[in-house]
Formats: sequence, structure tokens, C-alpha cells
Amino acid sequence: MNAAIRKVTLVIMLLFLVIFVQLNYLQVVTADDLASNPYNRRDLLRDMASERGDIYTADGELVAISEETDDELEWIRKYPFAEMFAQISGYWSYQYFAEGLERSYNDELTGRTPELEFRDLSEILMDTRQLGTLRLTIDSKAQRAAINALGGLEGSVVAMDPQTGAILAMYSNPTYDPNLLAVHDRDTLDANYHRLIDDPQKPTVAHSYREIFAPGSTFKVITAASAIEMGYATPDSNYPVLTALDLPLTNLTLKNYGGSSCGGTLTESFKRSCNTSFGEIALDMGDDFAKALDNWGVDQAPPIDLLPGAATGTAPQVGNFSQQKPQFAYAGIGQGDVSVTPLYMCMVAATIANEGKMMTPHVVDQVLDSDGKVVERITPKVWREPISPDTAGQVKDMMIAVVNEGGTGTRAAIDGVVVAGKTGTAQVNGQDPGAWFVAFAPADNPTVAIAVHVEDGGNVGGNASGGVVAAPIARQVLEAIL
Amino acid sequence: MSSRRQAKRQSQAVGADVIVANPALRWRELGLLLLAFIVVSVGYVLSALGRQEELNTQVGLSLGLVLALFLAAHLSIRLLVPAADATLLPLTALLTGMGFVIISRLDHDLAVAQLRWAAFATLAFFLTLLFTRDIQRLQHYRYTFFLLGIGFLLMPLVPGLGRGEINGSQLWIRVGGLNFQPGEVAKVLLVIFVAGFLDEKRELLSIATRRLGPLRIPDIRHFVPLLLAWGVSLLVMLFERDLGSSLLFYAVFLVMIYVATNRVSYVIIGLAVFALGATLAAQAFPHVHDRVVTWLHPWDGIENGVTQLQQALFAFGSGGFAGTGLNLGRPDLIPQVQTDFVFAAVGEELGLLGTTGILIAYMLFAGSGFRIAAENNRPFLKLLAVGLTTAIAIQTIVILGGVTRVIPLTGITLPFFSYGGSSLIANFVIVAMLLRISEPRQRAGANALAAQDARRAREVQRAQVVGSPA
Repeated sequence: MNAAIRKVTLVIMLLFLVIFVQLNYLQVVTADDLASNPYNRRDLLRDMASERGDIYTADGELVAISEETDDELEWIRKYPFAEMFAQISGYWSYQYFAEGLERSYNDELTGRTPELEFRDLSEILMDTRQLGTLRLTIDSKAQRAAINALGGLEGSVVAMDPQTGAILAMYSNPTYDPNLLAVHDRDTLDANYHRLIDDPQKPTVAHSYREIFAPGSTFKVITAASAIEMGYATPDSNYPVLTALDLPLTNLTLKNYGGSSCGGTLTESFKRSCNTSFGEIALDMGDDFAKALDNWGVDQAPPIDLLPGAATGTAPQVGNFSQQKPQFAYAGIGQGDVSVTPLYMCMVAATIANEGKMMTPHVVDQVLDSDGKVVERITPKVWREPISPDTAGQVKDMMIAVVNEGGTGTRAAIDGVVVAGKTGTAQVNGQDPGAWFVAFAPADNPTVAIAVHVEDGGNVGGNASGGVVAAPIARQVLEAIL
Repeated sequence: MSSRRQAKRQSQAVGADVIVANPALRWRELGLLLLAFIVVSVGYVLSALGRQEELNTQVGLSLGLVLALFLAAHLSIRLLVPAADATLLPLTALLTGMGFVIISRLDHDLAVAQLRWAAFATLAFFLTLLFTRDIQRLQHYRYTFFLLGIGFLLMPLVPGLGRGEINGSQLWIRVGGLNFQPGEVAKVLLVIFVAGFLDEKRELLSIATRRLGPLRIPDIRHFVPLLLAWGVSLLVMLFERDLGSSLLFYAVFLVMIYVATNRVSYVIIGLAVFALGATLAAQAFPHVHDRVVTWLHPWDGIENGVTQLQQALFAFGSGGFAGTGLNLGRPDLIPQVQTDFVFAAVGEELGLLGTTGILIAYMLFAGSGFRIAAENNRPFLKLLAVGLTTAIAIQTIVILGGVTRVIPLTGITLPFFSYGGSSLIANFVIVAMLLRISEPRQRAGANALAAQDARRAREVQRAQVVGSPA
């Protein structure tokens, strides 16, 4: 029998060997193919199926949280305020990755930064992970005020602290519920995603910082400040009273709002928003105007701490003046080649408020670890310094006149607080005008700068103007913040 | 002459053997056992650290219980089979312990249950050693074991006792609140029967008196009980839809008959019958057909949802050479991973290094078992050791081959490793019996053995006389 036992042993060992060969085939030869098979979700899940840190507002409201689930992803992201902070938090989707803070602060929220990972040896050995939590600069009361003031109109409200660049409120319609993209059921998720992406309104693209618009007369803040800064004008410079300005190289004219005749000193022209005067300033400055706009960073993307980032603005370029004189004149009044985000216009108002220093905008105030210890504090940084404090002071006075001395922005006036502002009514092809208002307050020691943009005439159609539609919204939000 | 009386005489003679204790063996066993415990402990602690931030008393308690069970089994051997083989218990401990590590990584509640089952299994191990002081006596009761084995096999089909179909098979019964897989017990009982039966008939079965084509086979009537055993177990398995056990039983019978008779014709006929049966089953039974199709075309239909086998193959691939590390993979994506697919979890988290290590442990176990069979000089015990070892080895090969797509997948547990009480208890009983068989004995009963051989020779002569007219 022992001969037979030996043969059986041999066969059994050979069978084990076959399994060993197959294991080598699976775990070495074809391992990469198996690991990267699109249906093998292990790599994906390793990144996706983890808890993420909380995101909360400056006043402690939870914007994004992780909740435990029973499914393979283990954690689901929840946005308790749904649409309210969607354009700031963005969304976290295991299938469609992420946007907003969920993307820009992904490493912090998953604890993958060196500060969070390598805190001490025991944590490394035990593979425990500290999650980063984000404390925002956004104030939920300011955000709610912005939403209520906008009242469902298509448009944007951006408010920031002019001295630090900290954004206090940023909201625009249309918006979306990020919970729709955080769901785990694949079919529901795909349906939600395609409904949002195919929506012609593009609700996931925040108009406040990801779309550019003609800023209209609010851009005269930049034109006036640049002219003063570069010595082309003073607040007392005189401009002829005209109804329309002849544009060189063409037989076109640049008309004043409503066809009125308008002009006088720079302050007067600014207060009444005379297109003819500012068209002429741009023509006077020529390529220097383009250079000034470059100093202002008009054709740059504001460096906000979100992904995808802010949209890049457009502006006339240095060296083109001789061929594009009409375009330069239009740019002087915030039309034509000039397009910027509402966020950028808020930064412009903030620059005047902050003595000519344009601060880097940010929505995150601090990154904290799971124990509440501060890991990173965002320090205010100057992005640009397009004008001197002196110039800023002179423009500020003109902006005060707009609101408080019978200018176009009187509807933004607040009792007991001096508001400085500028209206804008932008002509948009095929649409009713865009109503703008930029402002800051209190004028003597500004704590808030704001930009309001209501698209397509708001609820008054072709009669819309910045002073009528946008200024009251700005006032409402400023009152709530101050 | 009644076979019963024969066996009684035989065992009386054997009972006079003297067992020689070997202390060096036991210390070697203890050393290997502690080595296995260290491997298990490192795995368990790493796994626990991946799951929770710090080690708590529960980790220490679990490992303490594991060590206690290891030592209890070791002391049972010192007490009851002091001269037994020294490698089987450490291998068993390593495999069961690593199984516990993987199960506790998958599901804490199952791990607690598995630890409880391991305690019962250790008790069964002790009781087996205690009641098989004279293991040769088991041969007396071979027909009792046969009936019991068939009874256990049929149990899940009994209304009120069976739990109905679970995962496509009908293998479970529920007794006193506990779920039990009687097929695991039947496996041991039927191997004892076959060993006893073949020992009784092996000379007869070795003599070919009939011709089947080029092959010479013994008279058909000597096959009847064996064919009955095959037939019943195969039929039951088909009714219970348990292909894995069916394949296991068949393979074990085939190996035992070959070892008993040393005739390749049995293997050839057996394999031919198997091929025929498998082909017919694949056509007649949709669930068998599905398994074959999934085996041949594993990636078909993946867009409608990733299946168990596909997930297992992904797990092996994602694990790669070194694995993700304990508790860092996603074996939870594999449905039913804690029982039949537990090896895929090893592949994912411990990589090829881990799977190879486990494979080597099973190979060493099989090698030890067959060595024990070869070293014993009594035919019944030789056959019993071959049968029990083959049962463990083939069960391992069937499930590992299934989850790695070497053969079509058939649901069956990985011995010692998978979650499951009945499987663990049955396999610990097998280890106990192998240890008992491994004990060297001095040939005090040489006369009795000589007498037995003479009697055998007479029986063979008579069979030849009876068989010759045919």
C-alpha cells in the first residue's frame, strides 16, 4: 500500500502546485490588469470610502459632515443646508470626484497633509488618521441675508472683509443641492449628475465666481482710480456735458444712460455715471488704460481657494489702442471687451476700502485637526496693489457721493452708516440689462465690501438699473452684516 | 465467519501493543505551537491596530483564549497520545489561528462565534483522543458508521429539521437553536466506513476476475456496498445541490480504493465515470451548468454586477505580491467571504506571500498525514489515515482551485480556516484521529497479525474459487 500512498501524495502535491502556479498568475502576472480593471473598485474605494472632516461656518453652522453608512463606501457626505453653501463647499461624489472646497481642501479633509499625517510616531505606527476640519470665513447670517435679499432672482451677491480678503457671504442663483451628487446609489447618482450637467442653466457653475459678465458702470471705479493714479485726471477735472461721445475710427457714438446729457467734474460724472466722460478718459489714457487694467488684474482669475477656481476676466490689451480705440472707450464704462466675475467686482470695491491694497480672497479661515487644534491659519495676503492710498481715498469720496449726495446709488443708503458705492447697468446682447452695485461700509473704517449682480433685468425687465434693482439688495445684506 | 468477531479478536491482540512515549517530540511540538501563536498574535495585533486606535483588553483576552486553546490541545496530546506526531497540531493551530485573524478582521461577531466553536472543536479533539485509545476498534462499527453517515447526509432533507436552501444548497439543519452542517460529520463517518470496508475486502477487490474492455475488474458483487455508498452520497449531494462535498466524497473514495487495491483500473474507471457524471450533471442541472459557464467565461456579464468569483479574482490581483496589509483591503466586497472565499481575503490583504504561506502549511499537513499512513503497519489504520488526510487535502484543493479559477467553483469550506462550527469540529476530530494513528507501537501483537494474514489468505483463496466459473 505504501507505493500507492506515495503516488497519491505526489498527485496531491502536484495539485497544490497547480494552485500555486495559478496564484502566481493572478497575483503577479496579471495582478496589475486585475487591480486596474474598471469594475474593480478597490483603488477607487480606498480613496473614496473614508471619513472626511467637517466644514463649518465662522459662526459654527455645519456645512458638510460625514455620516456612517452600511454600504461598501462606509461614509456618506451630507450637506445639511443643501443649496445654501453649495457653491462654497462644492460636492463630494465617489463617482464624479469633487468641486469647491471638497476638491481644493481634499488633502486636508482626508487627513493627507504632512501636518495631519506625521504628528507623532505612535499615530504613524497605528495608521490612525487625523482628519482636517475647515472653519470658514463665511458667516451663516450674512449668507442667509444674501439669499433672502436676492430673493430668487438670477444673480450673485459677494461680500468680503476688505482688509483681509475673507469672504463673508457668496451666493448666486441658480444653484443646486450637493446632496444629489453625494448619494451612493449608482443609478440615482448618474441620473442626478446628468440632470445637473445637462441643465442649460448650469446650476453647478456658480455665477458669483465661475462666470464673467460685463460689469457696466461699476467698472468706472477702476477707470476713475486708474486715471487719478496715472495722472490723467483729478476729482476736479472737467469733462464736457454731452449726450453721446463720437468714437474714433468708426461712425459709432457712446451714449449716456437713457440718452441724457451728462458731464462736469470727474466727481460729478462719477456720481451721475456719465458714459461720455469715462469713454473719454479711456481714450485719453490709451494704452496706459490697458496697462492700468493689467495692474488691477482684470484679465486674471481671482486666486480664490476653491476648485475649479474663479473664472478669468477679459480686458483690452496693451499695444492694441491704435486699432481698437472704440473698444477702449467701451471698456472705460465696463462694456465691450471687459468681462469679470461678481467676486472680482467685490474685490475692486474692497481695494478702494482697503487703501489701494487688493487682498487675496479666501473662504477658509482655519484648518483644524480632529481634536480642534489649529493646524493652519489662513493669513491675509495682498494680491495686488493697483493704486496708492491717496488715490483710493479720492475714489472713496466719489463713491460716498454716489450713495449719499443724490447720485445713482441712493437706495443703498443706510441710516447712521456711511455707505460708499457705485451702480452699474450693463447692456447684454439679447437680454435685459444686468443690474450691478458695488459698495463698502462704513466708509471711514470699512469692514464689508460687497458686489451685487442681478442678471437679465431681474424682475423689472428692460427698466432694470443698478441703482433700482441691485442697490437695495446690497443695502439689505450690508445691514445684516454691520 | 462473522466479520464482527474477527475484528474483536484483532483488536484484543492490538490492545496489547505498548506505546512508547517520546518527550523530545512533545517539546518540539510545543516550540512549533508557540511559533504558530507568535505568527497569529502578530497578525491579530496588526489587524486590530488597523481597526481601532489603540489596543484594548479585548485584544489581549482574545489572544489569551487562543493560546489557552492551543495549550489545551497540546496537553491533551501529552496526556493521551504522548508519542504522536509533532507537526500536525502546530499546523492545525497556525491555520485555525490565521483563519481567526482573517475572520475577526471581517466581522467581530463572527470572530467571537468562531472562537467559541474553536473551544468546542478543542473539546471534540480531546474527546476523540480519549475515546479512540484503541482506534482499531472503529473497524467493528463500520456499518454503524455507514448508516450514521448516510443518516447525517440525509438530515438536511428531513422536513422540520432542514433549514431549506441557503445560497443555492441545502446543507444545513437547525438543532436547539444552533445551525449545523451534518455533511461535515458524515465526511468523517463515511471515511471510517470506507476504510473498514476496504480493509475487509481489499484482497477480494484486488483480484480482477471480469473484463471491461482492456481493464480487468473484480466481481461486481464485492462492489455493492461501496456502490451503494457512492450512489447514495452522490444522489444526496445532487439533491442538496452541494457539488463541492460531492466531488470531495468521490475523490476520497477513489483514492482510498486505489490505495487499498493498488489497481490503477479503479482510478481510470472512476475518472471515466466522473467525467460522464460531470458532463451529464452540467447538462441536466442548471446550477451545475452555471458554475461551468462562469468558470470558462469568468468575465461575462460583469456589466450587470460583479459576481463573487470576479470579486475574488480582483481581490487576488489587488493584493498582488505583498498584499494591502491586514485591515487595509476591501475583502468585504466579496459576498460570503468569511466561509468559502476566505482565501481571497488572504490574497488581498497578505498577498502572494500570505497565500503561498498558507498553501505550504496545507501541503505540510497533507504530507504529514500521508507519512502517518505510510508509517502505520495496520491496513485499516493506513486506509483511515489516507482517507482522512485526503479528505482535508482534496477539500482544500477543491475550494482553493475554485476561488482561483483552476476548476469550477463549488461551495465548500476551507478546512480550519473558514468560518463555521461543524467544519471546525469535524476537522479537529480528523486531526485527533490522525494523531492517534501516528502513535508508534511495539509489535506486541505480532502473532495476532500473522494469524490475521493467514485468515486473509484463506478468504482470498475462497473468493477465487467462487469467482472462477464467471
